[in-house]
Amino acid sequence: MNNIEGKIWLFGDDINTDLMYPQVCYTLKEEEKPFYAMSANRPGWSKMVNHGDIIVAGRNFGTGSSRPAADNIKNLGISCVIAESINGLFLRNSVNSGFLALTVPGIVDAVDEGDLLYIDLKNNTVINKSNNKKINFKPLPQFLMDIIENGGIINILRNKGLLGWPL
Amino acid sequence: MNIIEKILRNHSVEDIPEVSPGDIVTVNVDRAIITDMAALHPEFINEPPVKPFDNNKIAVIFDHFVPPPNIEISNRINRLRKLVDLWNIRDFYDAGRGGISHVIAAEKGFLKPGSLIANTDSHTIAVGAFNTVGRGLGTPEIMNIIATGKTWFVTGDTIRVDLNGNMNSNASYRDVFFNIAGTTGDIPNNNIEFHGDGIKHITMDGRSSISTMCAEISAEFSVFPYDGVLKNYMDNINIYDYKAIEPDNNTHYYKTYDIDLNKIEPMIALPDRIINNIKPVSEINKTEISVAVVGSCANGRLSDLRDVSSVLKNHRVSRNVRFIVTPASQEIYNEALRLGYIDTIIKSDALVTNPTCGACLGGHMGVVGDGDTVISSTTRNFKGRMGSSRANIYLASAKTVAASAVKGYISGDLSE
Repeated sequence: MNNIEGKIWLFGDDINTDLMYPQVCYTLKEEEKPFYAMSANRPGWSKMVNHGDIIVAGRNFGTGSSRPAADNIKNLGISCVIAESINGLFLRNSVNSGFLALTVPGIVDAVDEGDLLYIDLKNNTVINKSNNKKINFKPLPQFLMDIIENGGIINILRNKGLLGWPL
Repeated sequence: MNIIEKILRNHSVEDIPEVSPGDIVTVNVDRAIITDMAALHPEFINEPPVKPFDNNKIAVIFDHFVPPPNIEISNRINRLRKLVDLWNIRDFYDAGRGGISHVIAAEKGFLKPGSLIANTDSHTIAVGAFNTVGRGLGTPEIMNIIATGKTWFVTGDTIRVDLNGNMNSNASYRDVFFNIAGTTGDIPNNNIEFHGDGIKHITMDGRSSISTMCAEISAEFSVFPYDGVLKNYMDNINIYDYKAIEPDNNTHYYKTYDIDLNKIEPMIALPDRIINNIKPVSEINKTEISVAVVGSCANGRLSDLRDVSSVLKNHRVSRNVRFIVTPASQEIYNEALRLGYIDTIIKSDALVTNPTCGACLGGHMGVVGDGDTVISSTTRNFKGRMGSSRANIYLASAKTVAASAVKGYISGDLSE
């Protein structure tokens, strides 16, 4: 996977799935869904996101439901989530959607909103280019990186011929 | 090894002697459950798996949108329903025949002690009450499981929580969970294993409530030991073909916490989150409510309906409150009817709905509006969870919800 560079949006602790993908999204058109991300806690934010931006957040990111929250912020253009800790279901959904979510303890104190962050996936280091702070992190197991690099689980199943026709 | 590590080891696709924290284990799944939410995921109904790994190990349970609240959802669920014939699914629970998937899974004997369950719903950790492991999974992942019968888990560290003593009559198992949440805080990627001398007093409803809510502290798995209470439950539904799992004698736990059940009092979660947001009800200033809800996989069970009925007896719901009561399954509904709970509840001006997840997810049967103040025994108080993001949602036990519905403001007890 290529290294990532992007501008930071900073969020707090316990950012839940229902904020990223409100209930109303389920029956919207695909292209409309991403704009509802964080509409309850940060109205107007989704329209300010540029392709490649990064979310940095506090503890317990993605707590909540099975809903496709990771897809929704990925489809909004977010390239990666970096948090102090990440809910296990959100991490699974990210991996299975081919989206990178990394646990990097200490990240919140090393950044301000709007900083430029560089994620070096070969050396497992994040570098804040705005203040030159550097943090090493424990990479995701290769087993999970392989799913991400293959574009997620649906892609893998499709390539194996395991998916069928519309119901 | 602890209970969770042993269950993972026993289900490992590769023959491995042991499982330790950090290990990634690929496992065979004993039972996969699909709910009607799959219909709301375009990838599932547009490109379903060609065939299931074993049609008799798959259950289809409609619960979130029963009955469907609009044309779009109705159409999508009709598409999903085609799978039942296409795959020749035996265990199918449509509207009127089932209820909330975690509750049906227990009633129908899918949760055999020692087994491993896959279900897309995020409260699948509920199964831990049955000495069983399972966690919420995404829809794309359940498609993989349907196709292959397998999935993976990253083994987390396990926290031991000892529940000691016996609860006072004014407290509920939901209050036990709040106490646990206040003690452990959020624990992403870590497991919880329950022990202690108080467990023998905790009913299967109570264990299920506690285990279900462990999703809200981001636990990976939660599990209760196998004992006489669980054995009786399984005997009563004529399930005997299982192998319950005990931890090794010398098991080391990552952390251990002691909870004294005698000291538990009615608790409440304030709006928007549970973590670091829980208080004793006695410390809450007079807060008027407009909506009260009892239901969900956590607390829409028979004992919750019993609690509601005993609080409401000879009382009426405050004229400023709409009180919605949703039994978690048809079986619970039926039993509550037989025992007179439903009669008491509806004569107190509360509204009883059919079994569904409905109000908990803001889907239907109790969607709340701008400015509503809600007290609910359901699972989540996230902003916007039950409808409008301008509603405030408090979470509490069924008993506290019912008392508050009568008073018209948050109250742990009618005598207050």
